[in-house]
Amino acid sequence: MADKLNLKTKSVSGPTAAILLLVALAIPPFLSAINLNYGILICCFVLLYVVAVSGLDVVFGYSGQISLGHAAYFAIGAYGSIMLHKYFGVTIVFSMLIASAVATIIGIVIAYPASRLRFHFLSLSTIAFGEIVYQLVLQSPSAVTGNSLGIFTEPISFFGFKLDTYTRFYYYGLAVMVISLILKNNLINSKTGRALIAIRENAHAADGAGINVTRHKVIAFAVSTFYCAYAGAMYAHLVRFISPDTFMFRQSVLFLTMLLFGGTGSLLGPVIGAFSVTLLNEALRVAEKYQMFIYGTLMLLVIIALPGGIYGSLKRLLNRFKRKEAR
Amino acid sequence: MLLSIEGVTVKFDSLIAVNNVSVNIAKGKITGLIGPNGAGKTTLVNAISGVYAPNAGKVVFDGEDITGRRGYQISKAGLARTYQVINLFEHMTVLENVLVGMHTRLKSSLTAAFFKTRAERAEEEAAREKAFELLRFVRLQDRFDNEAGSLSYGDQRRLEIIRGLASDPKMVLLDEPAAGMNPVEKDDLDAMLREIINRGVTVLMIEHDMKLMMGVADHVFVLNYGSKLAEGTPAEIQRNPDVITAYLGDD
Repeated sequence: MADKLNLKTKSVSGPTAAILLLVALAIPPFLSAINLNYGILICCFVLLYVVAVSGLDVVFGYSGQISLGHAAYFAIGAYGSIMLHKYFGVTIVFSMLIASAVATIIGIVIAYPASRLRFHFLSLSTIAFGEIVYQLVLQSPSAVTGNSLGIFTEPISFFGFKLDTYTRFYYYGLAVMVISLILKNNLINSKTGRALIAIRENAHAADGAGINVTRHKVIAFAVSTFYCAYAGAMYAHLVRFISPDTFMFRQSVLFLTMLLFGGTGSLLGPVIGAFSVTLLNEALRVAEKYQMFIYGTLMLLVIIALPGGIYGSLKRLLNRFKRKEAR
Repeated sequence: MLLSIEGVTVKFDSLIAVNNVSVNIAKGKITGLIGPNGAGKTTLVNAISGVYAPNAGKVVFDGEDITGRRGYQISKAGLARTYQVINLFEHMTVLENVLVGMHTRLKSSLTAAFFKTRAERAEEEAAREKAFELLRFVRLQDRFDNEAGSLSYGDQRRLEIIRGLASDPKMVLLDEPAAGMNPVEKDDLDAMLREIINRGVTVLMIEHDMKLMMGVADHVFVLNYGSKLAEGTPAEIQRNPDVITAYLGDD
């Protein structure tokens, strides 16, 4: 086997991906048939959360840097796209991309100094950045962001084709999610992806192996901010109304919970995490007061009982099973 | 001269760990660096490879002044190294460790990575084959898919050397490569060092195992209390009264 050079590492096999995609395509007609239109909206949220959490995974799961402020980039994408459209008349598809690019540039500017910080100082500085952005949108000059009242916007429109139903948005969101996952997978399976993992494993040895540690940390940060900001812009034009409440610290915690719960450093972890935590959130809607309490408990449970999240644990279980069969 | 160290001094506060050391290292040879514990050997290697910037002096590698450059820049210039304490990427596979070692030799851009261009795929494929070739050189090819941390101590040391060689360096700095190896593994290392030289790579090696060192080195220099005590061929060093005193103490 070793001599066959059959060394391709694929995160998801072809048939599995095809089945998952078919299931995903069938969700809206199914939910409409049972008259659960609201369920399609929830699935739209899942899709955009997968994009955001996959981004966070590049920085946290792969390069090993923590960020507790990614709601800030989610906010910059959301507010940026709405404001570009509202004040400058930029077509929404482009406003989303420009806002995400702006968020990425801000991310890079922040990441340069932040990449030199040690873990706990980094987490504190990212919390501080999240708070700064939150305060800015809450108390903007001449209320350009709508301040605490929030701001309304329109749905995404592709040359007149408006994504104004949940089902339409769902298929668009699905396409975006698949593209983001493919791009992330490509990045991870490249020399840059290996460099990120090497930095997480042993930054000192990575430097010795010729890897520019600062540069790669900044790349990871930039990719994650683009993903989060684009997801934020998707959120804005799906809900068509945003207010600062959506971008508080607990949103950053939500992203991290999804990532830890689903499994870090994997392609499917963020998908599983976004899906299960969103569903759990809906199921526990009656207990909204206890949301943070539930996230906290979940995180503790995952860290103690399921290191590697659901995906990591499933993989370990499968491996054990395979080994037994091989015997 | 491939590497010249000119009057290098490294201080930690008031402690002078390396004091005005000058050494020239000839191309295509194995140069040994010995000395009692705490003599400043690893500190000197760290100052060459960019872990610390020297407080004084100059390091010239292949005609290029690399004094005070960062570790990754020095690695890029063609100077690879291994560590006294094993410094592998434990949870990456054996093959991935070698591929990380090739980082500086892979040219694909970030954009090419995102879109998995044909050129990027071809480069990755070639890199894997070359990594495999290197693994065969140390007979680790069957373990390519194992986590590096699961290898035996001696295998980990050899993997680290291979990771260093993966960047096609002009020179490798080996910090106690035989530490923790059994006699069979040491004989293996001896052969491996000669093979590295045959491949045109210059070696600077810190090693406490005198049998290995005296057998394989072309030239040896000795550090004591941060200063150069002596240098010469292994035979000269073994006869040198100052070296004998440094190692065995003064009666």
